[in-house]
Amino acid sequence: MTVENAYIYLFTAALIWFALLITVGLIRAIIGPRITDRVLSINMISTMVISCIAILAVYLKESYLVDVALIYAMVSFVSVLILISIYLPGRTVRTNESEEKDVSEEGSAGSDNKEIPDGQGGEIQEKEKPVKEGKKSPQQKGSGKQARRKSKKRR
Amino acid sequence: MMEWIRFFITALLMLSGMIFFTAAVVGANRFGHAMNRLHAAGIGDTAGLLLVLLSLFVAAGIHVDTVKMAFILFFMFFTSPVSSHFLCQIEYYTNPKLYRFTQKRFGKKTEKTKSEH
Repeated sequence: MTVENAYIYLFTAALIWFALLITVGLIRAIIGPRITDRVLSINMISTMVISCIAILAVYLKESYLVDVALIYAMVSFVSVLILISIYLPGRTVRTNESEEKDVSEEGSAGSDNKEIPDGQGGEIQEKEKPVKEGKKSPQQKGSGKQARRKSKKRR
Repeated sequence: MMEWIRFFITALLMLSGMIFFTAAVVGANRFGHAMNRLHAAGIGDTAGLLLVLLSLFVAAGIHVDTVKMAFILFFMFFTSPVSSHFLCQIEYYTNPKLYRFTQKRFGKKTEKTKSEH
């Protein structure tokens, strides 16, 4: 067993393990309850793809693949920024509770609900009302607790 | 003999990078809230990529490719915290249930809700 064969075995094992990790990371992108989880997992997967391409560049001794990895890093960063600029509701600062309503309204107005694939933009507005009422009346605090227990059970 | 020492250094760095990437993926799938998942995903962006590319530095030797990989490292070390910051910001602005995870220690409503918990 020469050194070159050992390098080949190491790099193939690393690439196979990266493929497994990417498929496991896709699970979070599929079941992620919010847009944040999906963008997060896509960012993580793109990091693993960058290291895959860098390993391939050394493995195949092809110098241009490193350029591809560099461009991939830039494109993944820009894609994250663009997705965030779609979903971020304005640049207002949230200071007290009276301004929270303004922020939520701007969020529904700024990002069109048609463009959100899961219809999560509609859910945010619906769920926000009982949360705010729950802060005032003590009876609905119990319902909020029950909802939290249910959400814990779901996990 | 020197070749084998170089190979073992490469394998050691590569395996430790793999461990960090595995920790990132497992943490992103197992943590309970999106900000915890951001913390787990940041491990793979910085430590995992650093160790994997360091192993490739050792494997490739002094070459033009190593300079380009150093550029990748430089770029990712600046852009990964920025993207994590913006993801945390979008979670803060659009999640109406966020106070449930934060009011136990921080925030205004700590004293009112102490009797409940």
